[in-house]
Amino acid sequence: MTTDTETCLQTASEFLSAWTLTSAKPEASRLDIVLPRNNLLDAVNALVTAHWGFLSAITGLDHPGAAVPDEGKAWDRLASDAEAGGAASTAWLEVLYHFCHGAAVLTLRVRLSYQNPSIASICSLIPSANLYERELSEMFGIEVLGLPQAGYLLLPDDWPKGIYPLRKEFTGFNHDNQETGTGKDHD
Amino acid sequence: MTEMQPSPHPEKFIVPIGPQHPALKEPGHFEFTVDGEIVTGASIRLGYVHRGIEKATEGQNWVQNLYLLERICGICSHIHALAYCLGVEKLANVTVPPRAQAIRILFAELERIHSHLLWLGVSAHEAGFDTLFMYSWRDRETVMELLEKLSGNRVNYSANLLGGVKFDVDQEQSDAIRKGLDFLEERTHHYMKVITTDETFLGRTRNVGILTNAQAEALGAVGPTARASGVPRDLRVESPYAAYDQYPVKLVLDHRGDLEAKFVVRINELLESYRLIREILETLPAGDLTVRVPRRLPEGEAISRVEAPRGELFYFLKSNGSDKPERIKVRTPSICNFSTIAAVVIGQNLADVPMILAGIDPCFSCNDRAVTIRRSTAQDEAWSWEDLRRYGNEYYR
Repeated sequence: MTTDTETCLQTASEFLSAWTLTSAKPEASRLDIVLPRNNLLDAVNALVTAHWGFLSAITGLDHPGAAVPDEGKAWDRLASDAEAGGAASTAWLEVLYHFCHGAAVLTLRVRLSYQNPSIASICSLIPSANLYERELSEMFGIEVLGLPQAGYLLLPDDWPKGIYPLRKEFTGFNHDNQETGTGKDHD
Repeated sequence: MTEMQPSPHPEKFIVPIGPQHPALKEPGHFEFTVDGEIVTGASIRLGYVHRGIEKATEGQNWVQNLYLLERICGICSHIHALAYCLGVEKLANVTVPPRAQAIRILFAELERIHSHLLWLGVSAHEAGFDTLFMYSWRDRETVMELLEKLSGNRVNYSANLLGGVKFDVDQEQSDAIRKGLDFLEERTHHYMKVITTDETFLGRTRNVGILTNAQAEALGAVGPTARASGVPRDLRVESPYAAYDQYPVKLVLDHRGDLEAKFVVRINELLESYRLIREILETLPAGDLTVRVPRRLPEGEAISRVEAPRGELFYFLKSNGSDKPERIKVRTPSICNFSTIAAVVIGQNLADVPMILAGIDPCFSCNDRAVTIRRSTAQDEAWSWEDLRRYGNEYYR
């Protein structure tokens, strides 16, 4: 079982080596690979073509105050995406695509700047990603490009624009504003 | 591949089901586009009881979150707590005593029994077979009483602690469980016979709502929904957690992918759970029930995957080194299986929709249910879920 899992992860890391910026093994059964945003579809396509497991979940992360880990290339591309100078370096978002194959979990990690929080939809390759991507986009304000979408999946229809509940800056509504739905953040 | 397309064709009828509709863990809203009796498209809207639990976890400490997360689902409460505990224990780098791990899976299997029996009853009801519904729910009381006997609770057993379990199993409880299982096993064999031989019932299940093996693979189906389509996906087997490495589970598979296969798989899983529980009771390891877990967890990320009654439950935990989590992501099995609905219903009869929805075992509740037959030109005509169910049963009369 264990050797199978290792072989699985080894195979995956070989498929993805062309686009891998950095990789890590947080646990014996896990492999995390950081990808440039523009290569997400290439990487997912490689996994789908090889029938490597299935997309188990997509996790969004908000890093409002954290510095991007000092990983050279990864940060350079993020900064050049932003084209907004140094401000971008203290706030960024991350999208994690978890693929499971037996006991093995492969996580593709893509970093996005606050200035340009957009990422390509993987629905053309994995149709079931639809629900996960809609949730990601509503909760984190990440624009998923090419996602077939009609209104909200999870948020109420009258949810105010520009408020993303799973961003750290969102801490609930003031009671005064709640009824009018103006959605000023609580301090 | 089928897509959850938002905009229906104007010349078609749309049958919205929900949101006050119980065939989902949360009230959900499906819109089925129909051409006469045949379904040609489906879309989904969720969130009617989105409680913001993921966000709420960020404001509470690791211990408090155990009680919050156990309340995500009232049917599979234990498995949520278990997934969370296993993740936290990975972050804290502690090893839980073997007796506690065995008791955890004992609860998990009892929970699977109550969940599968509940599902059997609800699906039978959707098919208009209320006798089976009533018998299976009567029998389900046996396992509910066993859970109550062990923990004092029927629904949120609260058996887990970070680092172990709260409840031990004594001889008297163990005997009661064995006795209950003997009764249930006999009943389960009877149900197997009923669902595979009753002609009327087979008319509603055999070759209805087929999810092919390729679809199940491609859409990422999990749990009995996947296994009824021949996809060997069971985390208890693939990636044994808690004590499943000590108590191996036999994988239950069926290759037909229709509704009948979903019944057969779940009923065989009941039998496998009875076997497993007896084995656990026979060889329950001696020892402590808990190990100490620190209030503050080291910085890091953990992924915890467990086999809930409905399939893989996925937890992602991120710690920032404090006593509160930085982020907790929960992906429930029903979300994976929703995608299969859109693929399966295309080309099926509208009358089969209740059964197909029931087939993936989304959590049912007893809410009133509303269905509106909406025509693009005429005014709305409201149907309750009961009407749709009756329509389905009349259609097959």
